[in-house]
Amino acid sequence: MELLIENLPEWVPQFLWASLQTLQLTFAAFVLAVIIGIVVALLRRTHVAPIRWAMVVFVEVGRGTPALVILFLIYFALPDLLPALSLDSFTAAALGLGLQGGAVLSEIFRAGIDAIDRGQREAGISLGLTPGQTMVDVVAPQAIRVVLPPVGNYAIGLLKDTSIASIIAAPDLMLRAKDLASSSFLPMQVYVLVAVFYFAMSYPMSLLVGQLELKWARHRH
Amino acid sequence: MGFWHTMVEVFPRFMPVLLEGAVIAVEVAAGALVVALAGGLVLALATLAPLRPVRFAARAYIEIIRGTPALTQLFIIYFGLADIGLGLPPLAAAIVGLGGNGAAYLAEVYRAGIAAIHRGQREAALSLGLVPTDVMRYVILPQATRIMVPPFCNFAIQLLLATSLVSAVAAPEIMFRARNLVMETYLSPHVYLLAAMLYLAVSIPMSHLTARLEQRLKRSR
Repeated sequence: MELLIENLPEWVPQFLWASLQTLQLTFAAFVLAVIIGIVVALLRRTHVAPIRWAMVVFVEVGRGTPALVILFLIYFALPDLLPALSLDSFTAAALGLGLQGGAVLSEIFRAGIDAIDRGQREAGISLGLTPGQTMVDVVAPQAIRVVLPPVGNYAIGLLKDTSIASIIAAPDLMLRAKDLASSSFLPMQVYVLVAVFYFAMSYPMSLLVGQLELKWARHRH
Repeated sequence: MGFWHTMVEVFPRFMPVLLEGAVIAVEVAAGALVVALAGGLVLALATLAPLRPVRFAARAYIEIIRGTPALTQLFIIYFGLADIGLGLPPLAAAIVGLGGNGAAYLAEVYRAGIAAIHRGQREAALSLGLVPTDVMRYVILPQATRIMVPPFCNFAIQLLLATSLVSAVAAPEIMFRARNLVMETYLSPHVYLLAAMLYLAVSIPMSHLTARLEQRLKRSR
């Protein structure tokens, strides 16, 4: 304990800086995951069967493969196949987590769209809206309420999953912790402190999502 | 020489090595599942305990574990504990780490399952003269278990994918062996693709079975 307190002035600023990197990585992967998730969820409703099948394969593979394997494929394997595709570790981590997140979120979005009564869509069409307008102006605004809590939970999970990026040496909290643990020979103190930093970011997020869930659950009844 | 040509050539050499890793992965997942199932039940019951400090300790454990990355927890258990003289071998650290982590998630599943049983069941059992522990054991839990089976199955799939993380604490599962193979052969695309296929070969059938089970349970209710 004394060793932890003794080292705090040196470690805390480094962890604060690394927290910023973790948040950047989370944000980049999240934005990518939302975009991919929406595109995949919509493409799964197309009438072109091969596109639908391709999306099913993407979702099954994305959800059924560990994030670590996806990161290794993108960071190590891809450049070996095509040297032009060598990415820095941060980009590879954001891309890998974003792709996997896209597969996860597309299922959440799909469930959200399905949760809206089909009468809403039929009413939109019969009022003369195009299917695209019906989706954007009628279904999506209602579906957002349904999907926001699970999307929030996904974001919290993602924040913690970015720690995996440290295994491909992407700059983040966990990588900083590994460096400090090996340079200080105080792994217990360092890893407990880094856990505190992760908790300080994820706990407020989970309280927020919990509030949101409660509020909207009440609205619906 | 083409990619697939090499793949066919190295397949008989790589696959047995990766399969040995798969056996370890399944062992770790099974061990962690037992720890998580037992720990989760204890935690769920503790959150319902009449004693406030017990409730508080259980809530604190759940929030802290869910608020920090599994990788960080594994590092605390493997590197941190070794540093203060409580070193665990890699496999034990992996089982304790993933199991202790899973217990916090399953506690919520148990809680939701218990809460889903109509309170009339509890009142009826109490009025028939059962003591509260017997009510839980003979009336509530047997009914709640039916509801909890699909989430347990989904958890088991996630757990199997999460075993890839324990390669970072030197447990010789699939990814650990894959990295060694890459160091020997420099064939990272082939090795990591085979590893991904190995995970998918288990996770995709398992998630389909779980989905079918869920449908059947839903219909029978």
